[in-house]
This record gives sequence, C-alpha cells and structure tokens, in this order.
Amino acid sequence: MARGAYLMQLGTVPYREAWDLQRSLAGAVSQGAIPDTVLLLEHPPVVTVGRRTDESAELHLPADAGVEIVETDRGGKSTFHGPGQLVCYPILDLTRHGRDVKRYVRELEEALIRTIAPFGLEGQRLEGLTGLWLSPPPRKIASIGVHVSRWVTTHGYALNVDLDPAPFTEWITACGLEDATFTTVARETGRPVTVADVRPHAVAALGEVFGLELEELPAGDGIGLWTQPVHAELAKR
Amino acid sequence: MSERLDGVARVYDEIAAELEQALAHVRVAAEHYRNELVPRGAAHAWAAHGHLLAARDHLEAQARDHADHAVAEPDT
Repeated sequence: MARGAYLMQLGTVPYREAWDLQRSLAGAVSQGAIPDTVLLLEHPPVVTVGRRTDESAELHLPADAGVEIVETDRGGKSTFHGPGQLVCYPILDLTRHGRDVKRYVRELEEALIRTIAPFGLEGQRLEGLTGLWLSPPPRKIASIGVHVSRWVTTHGYALNVDLDPAPFTEWITACGLEDATFTTVARETGRPVTVADVRPHAVAALGEVFGLELEELPAGDGIGLWTQPVHAELAKR
Repeated sequence: MSERLDGVARVYDEIAAELEQALAHVRVAAEHYRNELVPRGAAHAWAAHGHLLAARDHLEAQARDHADHAVAEPDT
C-alpha cells in the first residue's frame, strides 16, 4: 500500500539554500512533523564536493569560471549542477524503507531508469560505479550522492536533461572518473527536452519504486498548506 | 559550575539553536511568499516547524526533569 508523502517542486534554488532546507526538513521528518518529502528543483551553476573528493586532483576550474564551490556532507566525489539538470532530494525515513542504505541507492538508480525509459533511453548500472549510465560506450547521464543521518536521507540524484556537459570534464574530474563521458537526455534523444518534460516521469517513478503517494504542493493558489492525517494529529497535541 | 548545571545550560543552548534556525526559516518563508514562490515558502515553513517541535521536546524534557526534582509541598 502506498504511503502519503509530500512533493515540493521548488524551481531554481541556490545550492546552499536547498542544502539548509534539506537538513531542516530531515529534522521535521525525523520528528514526525511531516511525512516523507521529495524535493525537485534545479540549481544555478555550482560545483559540489563530497566526503570522498580529492580536491587537488578533481578540481581544475578556470580562474574566470565564476562558479561557487560548496563542500557538502554527501557521499561521493565532485560534481557539477546547473540549469537543465533535474535535481531530486528525497527526504525519506529509511526505517519505513528497509533500513538499508545500499538498497536505497539501488532504488534511486531504479527510479532513474524508469524516469528516462519513456524517452526511449535504457539506463544501466555499472559495476562499482554509482549513478546511471548509457552504453556502449559508457556515458554518464545521472549522478547519485546521499547522506543518511538517524535513518533519514538527504541529497539524492541529479539527472542531466539538457545542459552543456563540458563543466563535468573541463572544470572538474566529475565523480573522480578520468576520461568519463557525460551526456544528457536531450543529446541522446536528438531533440529538445526540458526539465518540465522529465519531471512527471520522475515523480511517477519515485512513487512506484518507494511506494509513495506523492501529494504536490499547489504552486499558484492557497498558502501552501494542505490537509494530511499527520496535521490532524499535530493539531490535537 | 556543577556538572549538572553545565548539562542543563547545554540543553538550553540547543533549544536556542533550534529556535534560531526556526526563526531563519520563517523569515525566508515570508520572503518567498511575498515573491509568490509558494512551494519554496511552504518548504521553509515546514522546516521551521521541525525546529519548533525539537525545541518544544527539549523544553518538555526539562520541565519533566524539574518536576522530578521539585520538593514543593502541596497546598493543604
């Protein structure tokens, strides 16, 4: 049976604001104040480094790149975010999803596979490498980096929909992978594809894989608060 | 300072930190609502809610601890 969850489509959000938001929402999920919550957004251009990043080897940004570098608490190595990339941050309480971080990452990969399938793309896992790939030859189309604290997840995946993948190789050695090729949904399909085109498929895939009934926050009217059983319980306190 | 009082002070530091984070999120929420960015505003509102609950839980724990140590005689 699907479990109720919140879906927040946030538009373009600076990386630090989104990170701060994730950490606080993770606290709210952990407290039981809100159910599992999925954030979908895009970031302005930013390079992020994870706990396993070797900065001297991976970062080689030109002096005039003018892009922010943020050190994060997620796993994995360096990556690039920018407009045209669908970023998904599921804030899930893994005590309801198997208490298994490896399984969680595999499920994120599965959600990505199902997200790009409607575009005629067959995503693949590569042994020993996190993220989603197309092949042959191997081309990385999505990156995954997660953080889990008290079984509540933050960070997530970034799917390249339609952006110039040059920063992945020219500014950084993304994911610590020398000679890796990065691609996008638009490049692979040979036609323009927007983040808005991909988003509904991402939502459906996350719902299927994690057994969530995602309820979206209305963007245009109302004040953004809506009825959920958890709210009635809170009101009784 | 006794170890016990130092521990209590640290709990109140944690409460203050939670409330400061709630305050920051509420201010950002107000700004986003003013700019008609409803989902972003709501996300920050819920983030604030989590911090308030955490602060309340700490305060209630302190109240229970106080009650356990209270020696006041009931009215007769």
